[in-house]
Amino acid sequence: MASHSASVRMSIHWIAGLGMLLASLVAGPATASLRVVASMPDVADITKQIGGDRVSIVTIAEGTQDPHKVPVKPSFVSKLHRADALVVQGLGLEHAFVPALSEAARNARILPGAPAYIDASLYVTPLEVPSSQNRTQGELHPLGNPHFNLDPVQGKLMARAIAEGLERVDPDGAEAYRAGLARFEALLDRKIAEWQTLAAPLRGVKAVSYHEDMVYLAERYGIERVGTIEVKPGIPATPRHVEDLLATMKRDNVKLVIHEVSYDPGLAESIAERTGARVATISAMAGGLGHAGYIDSIEANLKALLAAVQGESAG
Amino acid sequence: MRTTESKRASLRLVLAGCAIALFLAPAAARSAPSEVEELRSQLDATREELATTKQTLTQTQQELAATRGTLQSLVERVDAIQAAGPLPAVSAAPPPPVSAGSSTARILPVNADNPAISFVVDTEVATDHHRSFGSIGFPTGTDFSLRNAELFISAPIDPFLRGYASINGTSDEGFDVEEAALITTALPWGLTVKGGRFFADFGRLPHWHDEALPFVDRPPSIERFIGGESGSEGVEVSWLVPTDHFIEITAGAYDAVGSEYLEELNDDGFFGRRNVDELSYLVHPHTYFDLTDSLNLEVGGTWLGVPAGDSERNTWGVDVTLRHQPGTTGVYQGFVWGTEWLWNDQRFTERDDDGSLIDRMRPSRSGGYSYVEAFFARRYSAGLRYDRSKAPDGERDLANTVSAFFTWKPSEFHRLRLQLDDVWGDQQDNQRLTLQWTAFIGSHSHGFAQR
Repeated sequence: MASHSASVRMSIHWIAGLGMLLASLVAGPATASLRVVASMPDVADITKQIGGDRVSIVTIAEGTQDPHKVPVKPSFVSKLHRADALVVQGLGLEHAFVPALSEAARNARILPGAPAYIDASLYVTPLEVPSSQNRTQGELHPLGNPHFNLDPVQGKLMARAIAEGLERVDPDGAEAYRAGLARFEALLDRKIAEWQTLAAPLRGVKAVSYHEDMVYLAERYGIERVGTIEVKPGIPATPRHVEDLLATMKRDNVKLVIHEVSYDPGLAESIAERTGARVATISAMAGGLGHAGYIDSIEANLKALLAAVQGESAG
Repeated sequence: MRTTESKRASLRLVLAGCAIALFLAPAAARSAPSEVEELRSQLDATREELATTKQTLTQTQQELAATRGTLQSLVERVDAIQAAGPLPAVSAAPPPPVSAGSSTARILPVNADNPAISFVVDTEVATDHHRSFGSIGFPTGTDFSLRNAELFISAPIDPFLRGYASINGTSDEGFDVEEAALITTALPWGLTVKGGRFFADFGRLPHWHDEALPFVDRPPSIERFIGGESGSEGVEVSWLVPTDHFIEITAGAYDAVGSEYLEELNDDGFFGRRNVDELSYLVHPHTYFDLTDSLNLEVGGTWLGVPAGDSERNTWGVDVTLRHQPGTTGVYQGFVWGTEWLWNDQRFTERDDDGSLIDRMRPSRSGGYSYVEAFFARRYSAGLRYDRSKAPDGERDLANTVSAFFTWKPSEFHRLRLQLDDVWGDQQDNQRLTLQWTAFIGSHSHGFAQR
């Protein structure tokens, strides 16, 4: 009898052990932190600033990539499948990859509208909301221009939406997330005041950019947008469009060409050369100029713009 | 002390200067009375100018004081705004979310994409130098054709299910419901179930729609072994293994796999019904590796089998795809190198009207393709493909095809493709030139499976 119960116990131990082994294989390394997948480096950094050690973050897009053409990699399907939260920049910026990845990830918690779908655009007032959906106008975003991350004041709104989202998914960390948000906001406020002074020479400067992604940044610092190298959003330049743009730039005395790092520099440089303008290379996403953080990236963009503008006035 | 002395010295100099001036002035007056009058008139004019200048100065000082006041009030307002937050937008109440269905995300209005509808117009003009093999051959001469006109509809059905349909018509085959399927969206443990008519999950390119292929045509080896795209009627279960490494395993049961086989089966009407062991079964595991940030490898293997009956078969496939995806839009934008190889062991049975056996054969054949496509400057891509295959039931039927293809995309939804095929092997050589013009109306996406 005793030997029988001992063997039963042994069997139970074996089964339990095997079960735990299988569970650990399936679950991967034990981690107490919130598994967050971030679509873009900007929201990834803001999430990290707010969540600190409570979150572990995987970022899908890289700073040097065109946000509209981020490759759909199956490795992110697995990350999304196991994610506790998905943070997106929003306004449809991720249309090229997040819907396809989410469809394959089979994780209802992170689908749009679910609590763990954290939309950083929630409190942003969108600009350039199209009045009609017509592809003659290029690849428009129905909810408005999604490149608000380039304006640091919108960064505060992004942080607020992200902090609220993290709190929604992980109520136990509410205090930590609120403290993280306050820290980030204080830091950003200080930098916003600095940048307002730093960027004063940009006010009234006429510029063309490669893509239609400068509206929020231009509004913040008074840059006058004259045109884009793309014919329409997402439509590459044609020779006739380039000729028209050159004529406009010469007529309006435009001396700044903004080249987003993910696009071909050759055309921007050629246009600048033919109009006597200077090229400022900026990044539409954090990390594109080698600065991984959101705040550092904003500053790097401003300095690149200033260097081009001041170089122009000095020369 | 030194300061006092220097001041005294300066004073002495000034007094001396005045004395000299007083001495010289009367002398000058005496010497020329008319000049005195002239000097007086100049002095008067200077006095008038001085008065005017004083008046202007007073006005300027007053304006400056007013400007200072305005500036001060502006500074106070800016301070007040900064104290409340950097911009009114920050302190203002958040705008209401766009969607009425959620307060945590901006989602497109429900009628924007529900259902998502698209229509593909895929046309071509092709010219052949010679008639080629029966199984993969092309008619001689030149031909304009509607290669595919596809209406694609997709939408969630409820919180547990979504559905889609692909209805297409071509110059050669008329209208057809290519796919009409339901897919679960809320099963636990990473499972999905698909049912209806759909493209079975065989390999990589067999389940791609025509317009999504990187070339004008489906590779000849896939045409021969699968029978066109992997059209099927049945049910498929797919499991995403819950690990950080991507592994997906699909298993399915079908009436038949391959649009041509399915068509033959359906043409049989009542006789299309068979025993369970005469149905087609499939297992397809595939996995993916990030070799570097921009280089990745996808590997899959497929078994397709019919365990018994007149169409008994075992088809094995291996698919390997290497992609370089830097994700930037410079001149060079990456490449895809895709290869599939199939081994087919299939019974072909010929019976007369009363079911008596006329002929039976079971040849083993293999074939496949490999292609490289490189992408340039947002608009262009160019590639080369080699395909080698034998007909699954034929003789003297080896065909080699080399294809060069060039694609130009004026936009994401519009492309022109030029392809030159050179075919040689056991039968007549052939060269074919095709120009394909494809455009997408509406919200077109076949999703993750055809990325």
